[in-house]
Amino acid sequence: MLPAGCSRRLLAELRDALDACAERQRQLERSLRVSRRLLRVWEPAETPALEPTPGPDTNEEARPPARTPSPQDLKELELLTQALEKAVRVRKGLSKAGGRDEAPSRKSRSIVSPATTASVPPRASGQAGRRASETKPPRGVRQTTVPAKGLPELRLLSVGDQTCKARGAQAAKPEPGLRDQQMAPSAAPQAPEAFTLKQKGLWAQLSSTETGDSMDATTTAKTQFLRKMQSGWPSSRLCAAEVEAEVGRLRKACSLLRQRMGEELTADPVDWMQEYHCLLTLEGLQAIAGQCLHRLQELRAAVMEHQLAPWPEGRLPSAPSSCGGGADSIWSPQLLLYSSTQELQTLASLRLRVAMLDEQIHLEKVLMAELLPLVSTQEPLGPPWLALCRAVHSLLCEGGEHFLTILRDEPAD
Amino acid sequence: MGRRRRRVDPADAAGALPAAITALSRALPGGPSAETFRRAKFDRPEAAPALWRLLFHVLSPRPADDAAALPTPGSAPPTHARPSALSPASSKAQARLVKSALRSQGYPRRALVQLPEDGSQGSRELLLALSWLLARGPLLERLLAQIRVRLGDEMPVCECEVLASPGPPAPRVEADGCVDIRHLQWLMGKLRFGWRNLITSQQEHCALLGKVHSYTRGCHSDRSLGHLSVTEAELLRDPEGGRQLLRRLESENARLEAALEWRRRELVFWQWMDTVLDACPPEASQPTFLPRIPERGAGELELVARELQALQEELQAVVETRRAAWEARVGGWGPGWKATQRASEEAVRQELTALQRAWERGGGLAQPHGPHRLVRSEAGTLGGPGLRATEVIKALRSREACLEAALRQLQGQCRQELARLVGALPGFIWILPPGC
Repeated sequence: MLPAGCSRRLLAELRDALDACAERQRQLERSLRVSRRLLRVWEPAETPALEPTPGPDTNEEARPPARTPSPQDLKELELLTQALEKAVRVRKGLSKAGGRDEAPSRKSRSIVSPATTASVPPRASGQAGRRASETKPPRGVRQTTVPAKGLPELRLLSVGDQTCKARGAQAAKPEPGLRDQQMAPSAAPQAPEAFTLKQKGLWAQLSSTETGDSMDATTTAKTQFLRKMQSGWPSSRLCAAEVEAEVGRLRKACSLLRQRMGEELTADPVDWMQEYHCLLTLEGLQAIAGQCLHRLQELRAAVMEHQLAPWPEGRLPSAPSSCGGGADSIWSPQLLLYSSTQELQTLASLRLRVAMLDEQIHLEKVLMAELLPLVSTQEPLGPPWLALCRAVHSLLCEGGEHFLTILRDEPAD
Repeated sequence: MGRRRRRVDPADAAGALPAAITALSRALPGGPSAETFRRAKFDRPEAAPALWRLLFHVLSPRPADDAAALPTPGSAPPTHARPSALSPASSKAQARLVKSALRSQGYPRRALVQLPEDGSQGSRELLLALSWLLARGPLLERLLAQIRVRLGDEMPVCECEVLASPGPPAPRVEADGCVDIRHLQWLMGKLRFGWRNLITSQQEHCALLGKVHSYTRGCHSDRSLGHLSVTEAELLRDPEGGRQLLRRLESENARLEAALEWRRRELVFWQWMDTVLDACPPEASQPTFLPRIPERGAGELELVARELQALQEELQAVVETRRAAWEARVGGWGPGWKATQRASEEAVRQELTALQRAWERGGGLAQPHGPHRLVRSEAGTLGGPGLRATEVIKALRSREACLEAALRQLQGQCRQELARLVGALPGFIWILPPGC
């Protein structure tokens, strides 16, 4: 059994790590649920029986291409989605201004194949309505909603046509209900964009107000207030949060210095110039390491002297979100471009792997600090000590994955 | 936008302060009403609970991620069950967290520490604490950024905000007993398994995202993005969800406007806070802290100290031998090479300064940070702004290699140390697992 203090500390660290992992998993599950639900609507793996008009062959050829849509299919799909977008816009324009735009409807008609001008509104409304009332019959929706599979467009649209006509009667009745469902999908893509555009303007204004010239008076007022708050307090100039932040910086410094040292040591100097450069670099690194150590000792003294209690619960970035992504990304999200699912997966798994390694290294250090002293101080050579050694070796040297074997070397007698 | 006033006109002074306070209360998440602020100046007890709640929300490591958690002033309370008054236990926990967080950030007034933890008093002190936080840093912007509605599928490219702590800190029942090391081994195994699960789930998620992005290509009206994100596609699928999203966007916009209004008017607020501060009784001079044994923080400090010490010793050893060897070679060289020597020194100095910048305060921002919106584009088509996945992958791979080397080095160190500790004992044969 491990001593109480050691147990408590190690348990706390491991529980923290487990909680963090569980939290990530929870967030990931949330996103997965949403995405799965979305794709289930677009690609139902089951329900072949609910297919309306097209024959079973449509199903069979529909499903495999869903996994890997060919470029031609994608192109058709792009055209289709543009047409649908246009149709929605047209319908919105029509429902608002009473049917003026003939030109766009004519163009969409050419793609939305067998159509007459008169039937554009009801068709579009039927489609939009179907898009809206997705929860009810999945079949209708599946065939008209945007990301259809690699179905050839004509067949798709003729199907849409037929089902539209079939539902024309239906659409007539729950008119009011359908109408405000119509508005939602058309309004939905437009309105958030309108809002986000407005937002971009607001965020930009917000970040620009920080550097206005009327801010000088405000800044002086603020500093004066802070000074008044501070008075009557022999400020130690250091609070626990700052100490923690500095320790974090110094830890980063240490790892960067070590990395650089490794690079210099493995480099192969070609001439004496490079050799000298290398030597100077190493000496410089030594000096910096000394400075960091000195600073750390100062911090340690400050902590001891003022009994600065650090954040009591869990590891916390004391500079709250110092990584805000930089000032720019506050109002306009930066983009990350990827070109294939494979790439995205590689990226995501590398990110997780780096985070995992970071955590493993931290745990390794903590375990080393706690367990190695135990092995050296517990001298009795009984089986418990051997078991401890074996366990410690496995935890510290093999990441807990392999175990060594201990044989007692009895003299044969 | 109107002209910004340099001076508060006396004629306007009567209206400026309430306007400023109203703007602030509208900009803060679940902000207390303007009336609360006014009552707090006079230290009225009824103003205290709202301020405790607000400070708890602001200071806790990971506030609730749904923006509907705190009711916005003037709107109906959220439909999910939320007790109107917190149970005594949790309000005490809140108060304790607020005090501890403020102290750890260096809050300079002792009166805070002396406030009772049942949440019934202290509104004036809490008002001062809130203003102190507002004055010190971009608190409002940070809060607003946290509740930002994000329409895209975002992925962070750095690991800076590795989860602070999951959710509000649950009162941890610390096991006072001793544990067997096998329990630790079990926990480690559980952790490894957890990570493996995480990676598989993540792979699935990426596959799904890839599908959604490729299926919805051409649907987005913003051509630079080209396709819908999951959120946006959900918008189309589920109009009810779309309406909710719109409501969230509306409330965020309202808050942004309030924040701008606050920025315009805050000068008069600070002048008012001076009067609030003056209304407080003067503090006794020497504050005494209840000494707490710093557990975690000192632990971290010690670890880093040990590492730096080890690093310095290694460097010292290497440098000594190399310098000696160098001096031996160079001893007979003439003065002509002094110039090149100085040039080298200068070059090295510059390199090391650049290196130092990477960890100094404010440094490291050259690297990409924060969440980025994922955009799928066939290679080469979008030449516009944006980070390329290939670059990020390259950076991550090198970091991975670095970390793996560090881990291996640590493990090797352990192996040596253990060998030293047990190798001295006769009578045992230690058979290492294969592959070592």
